[in-house]
Amino acid sequence: MEIQISGVSKRYVSEGKTIVALDDVNLTIPANRIFTLLGPSGCGKTTLLRCIVGLETPDSGEIRIGDDIVWSRDRNIAVPPEKRGLGMVFQTYAIWPHMNVFDNVAYPLQVRGVAPDVVRQRVEKTLHFVRLEGFERRPATRLSGGQQQRVALARALVGEPKVILFDEPLSNLDAKLREETRKELRTFLGELKITAVYVTHDRVEALALSDSIAVMRAGQIIEVGTPRKIYFDADHRFVADFIGRANLVQAKVRAHANGQTIVDCGLGTIACQQRDLAVGAEVTLCIRPEFIHVTTDDIGGANVVAGSVDSLVFVGETYEGEIRVGQDVLLAKIDPDARLAEGDAVRFRLDPAHCLLLAI
Amino acid sequence: MDPARTKLTFGLILIVGVLTVGPVVMLTLGSFSEGLTAFGRFTTDKYVSAYTDPAILEVLFNTVVFVLGSSLVSTVLALFLAYLNNRTDIPFKFLFRILSIVPMMIPHLLFAASWALLLNPSNGMINVLIKSAFSLESAPFNIYSLWGMILVEGLLDLPIAYLIIAPAMASFDVALEESSRVFGASPWRTLFRITLPVLRPAILAAFILGVVRSLASFATPSVIGMPGRVNVLATHLYQMIATGFATDYGKAAALGMSVLVASVTLIFIYRAMTAESEKFVTISGRGYRPAVIELKGARIPLFIAVALLSFVMAILPVAVLIYTSFVPYVMAPSARAFELMSLRHWTAVLTDPLSLLSLKNSLFLGVAGATAGVALSIFVAYVVVKVKTRAAGILESLSYLSFSFPGIVIGVGFMWFFVQTPLYATIWALLIGYIATYLPYGIRPLASAFIQIHAHLEESSQVCGARPLTTMRRIIAPLLVPGIVSAWVLMATMFVRELTLSVVLSRPGTEVLAVQILRFADDGLWGRLAALGIIMIAISTTLVILANMVGARLRPEP
Repeated sequence: MEIQISGVSKRYVSEGKTIVALDDVNLTIPANRIFTLLGPSGCGKTTLLRCIVGLETPDSGEIRIGDDIVWSRDRNIAVPPEKRGLGMVFQTYAIWPHMNVFDNVAYPLQVRGVAPDVVRQRVEKTLHFVRLEGFERRPATRLSGGQQQRVALARALVGEPKVILFDEPLSNLDAKLREETRKELRTFLGELKITAVYVTHDRVEALALSDSIAVMRAGQIIEVGTPRKIYFDADHRFVADFIGRANLVQAKVRAHANGQTIVDCGLGTIACQQRDLAVGAEVTLCIRPEFIHVTTDDIGGANVVAGSVDSLVFVGETYEGEIRVGQDVLLAKIDPDARLAEGDAVRFRLDPAHCLLLAI
Repeated sequence: MDPARTKLTFGLILIVGVLTVGPVVMLTLGSFSEGLTAFGRFTTDKYVSAYTDPAILEVLFNTVVFVLGSSLVSTVLALFLAYLNNRTDIPFKFLFRILSIVPMMIPHLLFAASWALLLNPSNGMINVLIKSAFSLESAPFNIYSLWGMILVEGLLDLPIAYLIIAPAMASFDVALEESSRVFGASPWRTLFRITLPVLRPAILAAFILGVVRSLASFATPSVIGMPGRVNVLATHLYQMIATGFATDYGKAAALGMSVLVASVTLIFIYRAMTAESEKFVTISGRGYRPAVIELKGARIPLFIAVALLSFVMAILPVAVLIYTSFVPYVMAPSARAFELMSLRHWTAVLTDPLSLLSLKNSLFLGVAGATAGVALSIFVAYVVVKVKTRAAGILESLSYLSFSFPGIVIGVGFMWFFVQTPLYATIWALLIGYIATYLPYGIRPLASAFIQIHAHLEESSQVCGARPLTTMRRIIAPLLVPGIVSAWVLMATMFVRELTLSVVLSRPGTEVLAVQILRFADDGLWGRLAALGIIMIAISTTLVILANMVGARLRPEP
């Protein structure tokens, strides 16, 4: 079910200062997709999620879930959370400690007055789905973090909600478990074909899970797109910088030729992905470290840059190398078995498809 | 295991064991022995006569109603206040701190007496004012009744119930409620299915502690209950041993046994509850703190209710006592009353040899008792926290045992104990009894002080080359000072106001302040009661203020 957010603003007063949590947000979340709100802490992503679910009241605007308006200042509509028919996984899971697994999962059905035998059936089915069968009688306080997470997911799914919302559901798990659970979640949600809104500050999580990502900053949506678009083809410098490690180099547009945009910068003259930028404009050239393939071979031609190794740090799966080219220092990922030492002269060829130009 | 530490542990088990288990053993022996000593021939006669007493049924009924009623009052009020403070936008939240701390400085005996002055049926100030305002024939309220006792005891136990429930409420993860709302439950349903059940261990703990405290309470039943002939177990016991010609301590011991057993059982349940409550603590959310509940229109009325309660709990009792100490007899405030004010009650008290003796005794017990008690507590706390052997565990259980002892019952046990020794009827009997009964008050602050001294602090001092004594002097002692100060003050204030144990152990020559005040209450000398009571409160308050000043000066800079 599609979610439409139009003109939603929210301000807090905290210690005498007004904080703008949401600044006139307009957003359409498509139906049956996994949609992620991504941004640094304090960007308003959780506030937006809580406005959708009804735990927070916006100051202005309108929120529509499917055909129903659930909140509107102008029409004076405010549907309380319990009447919105949504499912949610909380950051702390919010597993009720005085109930066992069955009661936790059955709760959304019980409060809606579903017949007990139907409740039993559906809880069983949902627990089977999240691979927790046999845990029905387990007290909620005797579950591991990963199991609590799955109980929370089962509880959110059992009522077959129109929309399911996730508020940083993996942030309380340790790194290894987080990776496993992320994959699991991807599988679960892939099978369900449900509208899911997912809030996170973790870019890997966002890229791995989402069909689309909205990147937020200071209460505003900066950019919306698929993970590939956001990663390779961002329009905003903030987005390109936030979504992954990036080398940002000042550049000036020289010309457009052969479906490429040519710029001058500290690396020399570089052919880049085509962008609709005026000749002579000041731009930022963004190159991700994994696309800088250094070699000691004497290669030549267009887009080849020569530099020297400033430093090399072995981090296991790769070397993180700093390559000095004139005034610029570029971060590069280098094969861990490369025979290189600090001070070596190196060259690398930049693929124009991976040279992203950003207006400012 | 270090042999010196083992020796210390067993020595302490012996001392604390004699202090806490000793009186219980004597009580048990006494209840089964014929004649007037604890070592007579075995008999069950005392039990038969204690429990077949025709008055016992009414006493039991009163006790049950009083104990459950007052615990209900304190728990419900505490729950309500904790919710307002932690979860709503009620203004002036400092009031809740006042409510939870200040009433503890007012001795229970005086709190009860001030209510008697306000609401007694013959000349209670509020009664007189209402009677004249509405030209009523008779007084509208009679505090000398079961409901009066429930109200006063409920208010007395409110701070402790609040201190149990408020932290549970503060650490409550609001997401538990929010998720219930999202999954379709209304706010009321959420309250009854989620909020209250999650808080249940804390609520039950507060209720059970209320039951234990009101079961042991002597101040309210004696000042409010006895004038209206509403007897509960505590006052029934007191009448058995304090009035009549042939005092039968054996019969009192037999009756006291059931109070003791009930109390100890309840404390075990209480400890299980608090352990359960800690288990309910879930992963806490990071960073996100949702907005508090807006009270909107109810904000001001609720604030007025809380302010009124704070006034009734913290200011009114003291104000009533000060006022009463200056007027010639109990009268409602009026222009005439202010004209008649004089210092005669103060002069009477300050020239009364018995009052002066009780003041001297109480001061001695406060200073000497707290000093000795803290000295013992330091060693016990050290062993309990730092020596983690099974023997240390036994010592811990032993030292907290006296928490559950009703003073008047354990007093009878001490009585048997001291009768065998030359200590009987001396002030040392009171001193030992006080320390034994209030040992947990000394151990608790010191144990938490020891917990804060991480082993690494000691070890790094050793590594730097300091000898054990230097480490003790330079590192441990300074870190321990705040704990010592608060333990000392806590014990001293408890001793200066001690009533329940004293009414049993105090003999002519060893009167203490509370016993003397109770005597004034029995004789209806309210003016003198008020004057001596103000002196008692002044001593407690001075101690607390001094402690704060000393503590602030000695506390290591953060």
